[in-house]
Amino acid sequence: MTLLLAVISVVLGTVLGLIPAFLRLSSNKFAKFIGTAYVEIIRGTPLLVQVLLIYSMIKLKVFIFLGIDLSSFIPGMLALLINSSAYVSEVIRGGILSVDKGQREAGLSLGLTQGTIMKKIIMPQAVKNIIPALGNEFVTMIKETSIFMYLGIAELMYSALIIRSDTYAIKETYIVVALLYFLLTYPTSKWMSSIERRLKVSEAR
Amino acid sequence: MKPDKFIEVINVTKEFNDGTKALDNCSLTFDNQKVTVIIGPSGSGKSTLLRMLNLLELPTSGDIMFEGNSILKDKVDLRVHRESTGMVFQNFNLFPHLTVLDNINLAQISVKQKTKKEATEISLNLLSQVGLLNKQNNYPSQLSGGEKQRIAIVRALALSPKVMLFDEPTSALDPEMIKEVLAVMKSLAKSGMTMIVVTHEMDFAKKFADHIVVMDKGKIIEEGHPDLIFNNPKHSRTIQFLDSVLNK
Repeated sequence: MTLLLAVISVVLGTVLGLIPAFLRLSSNKFAKFIGTAYVEIIRGTPLLVQVLLIYSMIKLKVFIFLGIDLSSFIPGMLALLINSSAYVSEVIRGGILSVDKGQREAGLSLGLTQGTIMKKIIMPQAVKNIIPALGNEFVTMIKETSIFMYLGIAELMYSALIIRSDTYAIKETYIVVALLYFLLTYPTSKWMSSIERRLKVSEAR
Repeated sequence: MKPDKFIEVINVTKEFNDGTKALDNCSLTFDNQKVTVIIGPSGSGKSTLLRMLNLLELPTSGDIMFEGNSILKDKVDLRVHRESTGMVFQNFNLFPHLTVLDNINLAQISVKQKTKKEATEISLNLLSQVGLLNKQNNYPSQLSGGEKQRIAIVRALALSPKVMLFDEPTSALDPEMIKEVLAVMKSLAKSGMTMIVVTHEMDFAKKFADHIVVMDKGKIIEEGHPDLIFNNPKHSRTIQFLDSVLNK
């Protein structure tokens, strides 16, 4: 459950994160303002507050699908997505800005359109800078799913709460929970660094 | 055939946001099929002037005419203009994630709508002219500076531009590599290409320029035939500048 939440939020968050990233990079002042405001507001408020706020705004009927109560899953997912998109958009923006501006000028001087320059020249280079930071975000997301226990979604922390009240083994329960989180995050960071290594190899070629 | 007034710069001033004036009321004309070399101390506005010719920098005021038409009017398609003005940068600006061949093919395919086969044919032909055919599948990081710059020249030439702009093409190179890049530029000059070159290579200026423009502090202080500028400079700043670069 925890892993599913994290995977969905990072993958969709990346797609959603492209929007504020490009808004902030735009030369249009209004677009820039909207993008910046979005990122600042989301980053400046606690995830817990966002989750509870969205949960209270979206009232869905209880609907069980594959053993998941979608009525709390969907708003929870949405909140995590919005949150993740703001952080990811900053990662993407940083990655794009890190590409030397001479690359854009070279593209322009060859008569390429802004779109082609972004797609064929800037993004392929930016991805190398974005991937490591995105891995970081992925690990953070796995841990932040713990916040869903407030919505009664059966993620790790919520299960821990139930076990704790059944067994009264408080310390032991939380140590196991910590271990389980680590078991999820450690392979993830290992996996990310192997991707990084492969990207470095392609550059040295 | 339009022999004269190929590119005309009219009263152009460029002021940056911080108030510094990079160009101060500059007017000059570049002739077709001629090599114009712009010289002057660093910070004199040479590169800004050059970058303005394909509008990587926009003038604050003034006008720029290309074959008799202003390129600053709203309806002018900047991309079409940039397509016909090839540019070579000091730092090469090759695309590091693409092979040499893809670097040269990219704009041919996406700007000139050529097929990959047509583009490759042109690219390989140009590569063999600069003696780098064997590097077609290498990545830029595997090339020397001189090779990178020759590839950059080929990349611009592949779009068959009407004019080639060179922004200090040899300034980032070791001496022995400067030679190989200058050799390519010289054969290009001989082929009748219109060239506008910002450089500190005075030998190139002396031997291959048809016209020299001397700039200082955002102004054009003197221009004329190389013999005139090098042997009989009028302006005291020109004398000073030539002294400092020729006797270093």
